Amino acid sequence: MNISIDREALAKSVQDVMKAVSTRTTIPILTGIKLTASARGVTLTGSDSDISIESFIPLEKEGRLLVDVKRPGSIVLQARFFSEIVKKLPQQTVEIETEDNFLTVIRSGHSEFRLNGFNADEYPRLPQIEEEHAFQIPADLLKAMIRQTVFAVSTSETRPILTGVNWKIEDGELVCTATDSHRLAMRKVKIGIESDWAYNVVIPGKSLNELSKILADGNHPIDIVITANQVLFKAEHLLFFSRLLDGNYPETARLIPTDSKTTVTVNAKEFLQAIDRASLLAREGRNNVVKLATLPGERLEISSVSPEIGKVTEQLKAESLEGEELNISFSAKYMMDALRALDGTDIQISFTGAMRPFVLRPLHSDSMLQLILPVRTY
Amino acid sequence: MTMRWEQLAKRQPVVAKMLQSGLEKGRISHAYLFEGRRGTGKKAASLLLAKSLFCLSPSGVFPCFQCRNCRRIDSGNHPDVRVISPDGETIKKEQIEWLQREFTKTAVESDKKMYIVEHAEQMTTSAANSLLKFLEEPHPGTVAVLLTEQYHRLLETVISRCQVFSFRPLPPSELADQLVGEGVPLPLALLAAHLTNSDDEALALSQDRWFAEARTVVLQLYEMLSKPELQLLFFVNDRWIPHFSEKHQLDLGLQLLFYLYRDLLHIQAGQTDGLLYSDQLERLQQWALTCPQRRILDGMEAILQAKARFHTTNMSTVLLVEQLALQLKR
Repeated sequence: MNISIDREALAKSVQDVMKAVSTRTTIPILTGIKLTASARGVTLTGSDSDISIESFIPLEKEGRLLVDVKRPGSIVLQARFFSEIVKKLPQQTVEIETEDNFLTVIRSGHSEFRLNGFNADEYPRLPQIEEEHAFQIPADLLKAMIRQTVFAVSTSETRPILTGVNWKIEDGELVCTATDSHRLAMRKVKIGIESDWAYNVVIPGKSLNELSKILADGNHPIDIVITANQVLFKAEHLLFFSRLLDGNYPETARLIPTDSKTTVTVNAKEFLQAIDRASLLAREGRNNVVKLATLPGERLEISSVSPEIGKVTEQLKAESLEGEELNISFSAKYMMDALRALDGTDIQISFTGAMRPFVLRPLHSDSMLQLILPVRTY
Repeated sequence: MTMRWEQLAKRQPVVAKMLQSGLEKGRISHAYLFEGRRGTGKKAASLLLAKSLFCLSPSGVFPCFQCRNCRRIDSGNHPDVRVISPDGETIKKEQIEWLQREFTKTAVESDKKMYIVEHAEQMTTSAANSLLKFLEEPHPGTVAVLLTEQYHRLLETVISRCQVFSFRPLPPSELADQLVGEGVPLPLALLAAHLTNSDDEALALSQDRWFAEARTVVLQLYEMLSKPELQLLFFVNDRWIPHFSEKHQLDLGLQLLFYLYRDLLHIQAGQTDGLLYSDQLERLQQWALTCPQRRILDGMEAILQAKARFHTTNMSTVLLVEQLALQLKR
């Protein structure tokens, strides 16, 4: 391989793929970054085997020449050193040339580094992509979908499948579900694909968090391809691969109650602040529980008692309140997570009794939903 | 070191046959337990099994040893073949938890995954119990291989959920050949191969200058037996004792002396093949001629007795060797 490349573009790409490189890996080759030069440009790859990030530098961008490929080829270089070197090189262009035995010379101005590289054949192969199986979601919407579901994944390893978010594609609709068996977050999106496609995969929550960090804000479309082993998110010049979780995701649709005995509509922001205040004292207690009771005159009372510390009560005017009287306790943390995840100013909460799960939805929309299991108190 | 099926079949015929027929019939167990002494080829066999499963262009069950997958299994870079070895003294629960997380994810490249746990007996009890869960509910396409030298230290519950393969110790002659192949001179290789079964240990031993010296001291001691008593005792104190100062060293020295007597006996019986001190053949033949068979046998008995005394009692090593030398001289 022999290339000369724009340092800024290289540094940006290195920074992107470094997000996937882990220092604590058991596979020696994964401590490196793979560089591949072809007639089209230069591709950088970083991976910790769970997620892999590929960044592409085209030959030119906006009329500016970025890469000159004199001899195509590929090499794996120690990520830790390579990233530092690229950051600190003196000149605007960098020459990278491989010699015998994977020795790699990095030249910029009068500075010259000689790095011992590895054989690029040793690097894991990423799945081959079949473009026709891609569907598109705008970046902002994708990030919102991740934000609205991923917080609810389980952190315990007792049921590993619950550490991921279930992506189910059916009838041209993508349904994302996450649950830790105490709460559930669900988000539906219409996607423009033929209706006979059906997928059901579980993507690790950690991968989605990483993806959300690396995607630029904006409305540009992200191509998504699901393969047997991996899922691929493709933005302009950036590919993000993640392994999937193996196993069957529990059927969650029947957990969501369809009827409702008490329906409350509240202003999301006011309600969130009231819960936050109530949880100030509850946080010290064992499980951060607050109590919600309906009062006559469309009023709600939120309270929390911690015997050693004290008590807090607050009354809140609901936008509307229908149905039976109710007295219910739940985790303040789960409630706040759910309220933060929902968009919209007004949200509707449907209860079916003090011992049954309840559902939060934005008013006039069923594209997102948060379900919380109440806490039993005596 | 890369092992081929032919080599495995030579060393561990039973294991090779069973594994091969399992591969041919597509009946691969979800968990194997390879047990056997150090250096019996357990790890190499597990990597061989991995290659047979992952090779891109296999002929039957025989991997090509050339393709990316074969090469990456050897270099430890294949993302779907993971090796776990003790972190310090034991295999910690976190390592098994990491392994469990790996189990729950799809494979990186193919639809198969393989995990090799080295020194499985070093798993802490809680680590072993965590592993049990996988062994009880295997994931399709996942193979675990546990390697152990101390089979009996594993939990019963773990053993009962694995298909167990016992690896026989290596024949010394083969180990010696292997050492010679690694550049060890034949005389040292033969002795080292008889003293230990592990190829690592044998190699380390035969590359140690101390060991070559030890062999010379042993030969010198035999020569000194024909000298006056005082000179003999002086030699013991001046050369033997300083050289074999540690307990395990003395044990090894006595063993070397025993092999020398064995060689003499072989020569007297007319067998010159398989001598351990074969490079000293002329000297040995001369010694064998001048020494009655009775004395050789008595000498061997004396050495064995000295060894037994040395292990069971707390006798001073100086006295022990002096006594032995005088017994041998008689």
